[in-house]
Amino acid sequence: MEKKEYDAVILGGGLAGLMAANIVAAAGFSVAVVSKVFPTRSHSAAAEGGIAAYMMGNSDPNDDPDFMSYDEVKGGDYLVDQDAAELLSKKSGEIVSLLDAWGAPFNRQPDGRIALRYFGGQTYPRTRFIADKTGMALLHTLFEHSTGFKNIEYYNEYYVLDIVKEGNNVNGLVAMEMKTLNPIYLKSRALLIASGGIGMMYKHTTNSYINTGDGQGIALRSGVALKDPEFVQFHPTGLYPSDILISEAARAEGAILKNNKGERFMAKYAPHKFDLAPRDIVSRSMTIEIREGRGFEGGYLGLDLRHLGKKYIIERLALAYDAAKNFSGVDASEEMIPVRPAQHYFMGGIDVDTTGTNHDLNGIFSAGESACVSVHGANRLGSNSLLETVVYGRETGNTMVEFLKTHKNVETNSNVEPIIDAAYAYIKRETGEHFGVLTEELRDIMWDNVGIFRDNDKLAEAVSKIKDLRVRARSMYVTDKTSNYNTELFNALETRNMLDVAYTMATAALNRKETRGAHFRDDFPERDDKNWMKHTITYLAGDEVKISYKPVTYTRWKPEVRVY
Amino acid sequence: MEEKEITVNIKKYNDKDGAFWKSYKLKADKYTQMTEVLRRIKSEQDPSLAYRASCHMAVCGSCSMKINGIPSLACRTIALQAVDEKNEINVESMDYYPGVRDLITDIDVFYDKMYKVMPRLIADESVLMGENEQRMTPENQTEVWKFQECIYCGLCVSACPSVKEDEQFLGPAAHAKGFRFIDDVRDTKKSERLDLLMDSAYRCTSCYMCYEVCPQDVQPVIAIKKTKNYLDQYKGNTPITIMARKHDDTVENLIETTGKIKESTLFLKTFGFGEAMRDAIDMLKSGKFKYAFEKDSNVKNMNEIKNMMGEKK
Ligand SMILES: Cc1cc2nc3c(=O)[nH]c(=O)nc-3n(C[C@H](O)[C@H](O)[C@H](O)COP(=O)(O)OP(=O)(O)OC[C@H]3O[C@@H](n4cnc5c(N)ncnc54)[C@H](O)[C@@H]3O)c2cc1C
Ligand code: SF4
Ligand code: SF4
Ligand code: FES
Repeated sequence: MEKKEYDAVILGGGLAGLMAANIVAAAGFSVAVVSKVFPTRSHSAAAEGGIAAYMMGNSDPNDDPDFMSYDEVKGGDYLVDQDAAELLSKKSGEIVSLLDAWGAPFNRQPDGRIALRYFGGQTYPRTRFIADKTGMALLHTLFEHSTGFKNIEYYNEYYVLDIVKEGNNVNGLVAMEMKTLNPIYLKSRALLIASGGIGMMYKHTTNSYINTGDGQGIALRSGVALKDPEFVQFHPTGLYPSDILISEAARAEGAILKNNKGERFMAKYAPHKFDLAPRDIVSRSMTIEIREGRGFEGGYLGLDLRHLGKKYIIERLALAYDAAKNFSGVDASEEMIPVRPAQHYFMGGIDVDTTGTNHDLNGIFSAGESACVSVHGANRLGSNSLLETVVYGRETGNTMVEFLKTHKNVETNSNVEPIIDAAYAYIKRETGEHFGVLTEELRDIMWDNVGIFRDNDKLAEAVSKIKDLRVRARSMYVTDKTSNYNTELFNALETRNMLDVAYTMATAALNRKETRGAHFRDDFPERDDKNWMKHTITYLAGDEVKISYKPVTYTRWKPEVRVY
Repeated sequence: MEEKEITVNIKKYNDKDGAFWKSYKLKADKYTQMTEVLRRIKSEQDPSLAYRASCHMAVCGSCSMKINGIPSLACRTIALQAVDEKNEINVESMDYYPGVRDLITDIDVFYDKMYKVMPRLIADESVLMGENEQRMTPENQTEVWKFQECIYCGLCVSACPSVKEDEQFLGPAAHAKGFRFIDDVRDTKKSERLDLLMDSAYRCTSCYMCYEVCPQDVQPVIAIKKTKNYLDQYKGNTPITIMARKHDDTVENLIETTGKIKESTLFLKTFGFGEAMRDAIDMLKSGKFKYAFEKDSNVKNMNEIKNMMGEKK
């Protein structure tokens, strides 16, 4: 088997992974970036609306970083670690300047400075954007910047199977070249997991097909904890019926949600912020409207842009306009866009501190959507995820540089055969369960039972059903026996990861007996600060999810009632 | 929702069996994207089917393939809009790139061309040190963004005739990328970039195929034409760019005297008689010869044009 050695290996070529790669490489260390797709095809490309930043001298005169942190803390329903949020706000301006210096073509004001607009949950407008393809433009910028480094090597279309450990130290990872199914052992002392989200385990999701929770699954299997996995965001405006995202930018630019009576129903649920209330609130309000019969046939509501005028729509909201036209056959300047909530973002993730370090293994780091630094708490605000990927991608990159300076690669090679055998086993098996069946069942369970509205019965049922699926998955097999870009094998491996992560999510959701942010329990509809103002920490050991808790870090904001 | 049964014919390929066609029947409604069709075929009928797809919203450039012979993004294609009168659709991999498996091709040659154009902004040191702020007019941003919108899908290169014949041609996408930085006021490496791009720019035949197939409306051929506008600032001398300079001088000359470009005269003056004849034969073959014979006449407001030309000099 092929073996290569680096200082750092980075799992993921999205924004978080590439930012860290640029930082570690700039310090002179050798870096391997492993991604199951060519980096620019990572899910980050799909981000539309923008990136939040307070830029000194180029923000609302009344704004300051503290307001921004406060918005994050309140938006996250006080499950946010306030030191993490403060760091995010404080570094937001300089990171946007850095992206600008590296070539990101941000939209401009007439005087040549970077433009800004409002997004949900913001006291003052802070979102910076590049047309309505901010994620794509930033991803390309970071990728293109990285082509200037000779010490970054890319393993594109390599699928990571598992982490390699030697005792309590990281000793690299094992990946498989997708084209040939040849395994490769990439040895390193520092390893960053920046593998993105989990959307594909939900029947309705705005996420890319490749968001299958691989990194989180890999972490769980190596004894690394997930923090707050019960918190999943549902975006209010998934296009009906394809679930393609209609960006929050639409509402930021003045679009209005309406029910089948033509009422602006958000006035009832969020009398101050209306349609721009945080996403958990809007998604729940929409679900109630649909449930109580005020939706349109098929189960959707209308997003009305018509009053904005065609010219404005096409100029500022081209992607939303095109998406509605191409994927729902609707001309948004003449008809309302049919929308319904869909899974969008995973607030939980690999347990790391504000330096991006995880403390379960020596040498393991995480950043981006796969990590939980706790800047989003129980609900993420729009534009803050892109910001997190780059701010914490950089922070974590810097931490890794310091780590690399003081540590040496483990001298011995670990035995990695068991990892490879486990993967090949799916091909070798001649009968059993098929990944397609298991995935479809999982997607239904997660949507119906671990979705926007939850309760004890639904969650208990989900836990027991997923437990069952995990047993069935042990006899999963792959019909395609070739080693020639065998995508079926990778789908099976993804299913294994999704099941492990879903299992901890459902268990943690059943365990948290309160309502907070995106975790809404019909049977416990109130936030319970006395008992539940704490992070859930989950480990997976065989069939058992071990739950413990960590305190939330406060700096200055005391919990208050969350009204918008 | 109303559904229709469709037949999807997919040209499959693997190393062992080579290429063969296989048909699948399934139901689709008026919203079903081709990526969803493929996903369902894979999860319900043929798990071995191999294709690339990620974002399903036309921003990641993964799902490039030929649908009914047309280079397309699968996620951008609605099944029921693409079927023929028998409700059939043909799907196969992109041209030009070596096949790997079913709809997956090896597009490394595409990436290699992109890497060749120094695809990254090199800002001023003072900006990188955080001492200076960069400004950019909204107009400049709009133009840069136009060419930056490329999603590396590879469709233009698969459709470009010059790439196939001329190894030194960087191809449409790399030219759009390269020009995007030439055009960016924040960049500091204009002359290096002209060195990378100018010779190659004259290897494009202006057939507009890239313009036709690009799902992002990047218009690579326009980037190529705009690159040629910088010929004056280009310091190098390759056989092609020497020819191009002659060509430009001839054009100026022709405009000054007749107010119009006469293609045939231009050809002769730039390439000499032999080349012109060879080109005429190529044009004849490609059915484009009619353009060469279009009747040219002098334009009326010569003075204005002369003024403009004078200003240019
Ligand atoms: C439609 C949409 C719109 C959004 N819009 C916004 C917005 O406007 N503003 C905002 O702030 N946020 C937005 N978000 C959220 C944001 O885009 C993501 O949270 C963020 O881009 C995640 O980046 P990342 O670097 O963590 O991961 P990703 O970009 O998802 O990258 C993950 C990487 O890991 C790799 N990988 C995963 N598993 C494996 C494996 N097993 N082997 C090898 N490689 C692997 C992948 O190939 C990929 O390169 C949006 C999200 C969606 C779904
Ligand atoms: S116009 Fe030029 S770049 Fe475009 S397809 Fe034709 S030859 Fe290729
Ligand atoms: S220029 Fe257009 S067709 Fe060519 S790779 Fe870029 S997006 Fe695709
Ligand atoms: S799947 Fe991303 S462009 Fe089609």
